[in-house]
Amino acid sequence: MSFRYKSGLLTLISLAAIYSYYFYRISTGEGREQLALLLGVVVAIVVVQVVGLAIIAVTSADRYGPMDERERGIDRRATAVGYYTLIVTTLGAAATVHLGTGSSRMANAILLAIVVSECTRQAVFLSLHHRRA
Amino acid sequence: MLPIANRVREEREARGLTQSELGAAIGMTRQTIAAIEQRRYSPSLESAFRLARLFETGIDALFHWED
Repeated sequence: MSFRYKSGLLTLISLAAIYSYYFYRISTGEGREQLALLLGVVVAIVVVQVVGLAIIAVTSADRYGPMDERERGIDRRATAVGYYTLIVTTLGAAATVHLGTGSSRMANAILLAIVVSECTRQAVFLSLHHRRA
Repeated sequence: MLPIANRVREEREARGLTQSELGAAIGMTRQTIAAIEQRRYSPSLESAFRLARLFETGIDALFHWED
């Protein structure tokens, strides 16, 4: 596996795992201190990414470099899929206003839309990268 | 498998280059060189010319259409 594939996998897994925890806490009403919880989530993601990327860089045979034309093509396709996912999920989040949703819930719905679209983008990138490797 | 066949592996091995070395010489990753050799990816025209120039051959000798 290339450095880029491993780092993409790390990003996907860390985003999915950490935000799943965040939204679980929010949905069960345990996350009353939402701002503190969100800040904790952001710090956790930064720490996992920095430590994980350092480990991958040390252990990987491949060195990090700029994307070549094949990877740029894969990235463009993944970004396009992530963009449309973002549009649909954000519209869905915005539509919750008609259900009488408060600003806090809507903010979380928009955050969920961003997380889902980024996870989708990463998953498509990894899938295409794997298939065309 | 893509319809454009190539002789990249043969030319590379004839020169004793690894996929990583060839990739570094033309600005591609090892994975992309492997994908080209396995006909999973067709390089851009510019990269095809880079490969042909590196191997000191013509682009039509390096790549050809295969149904």
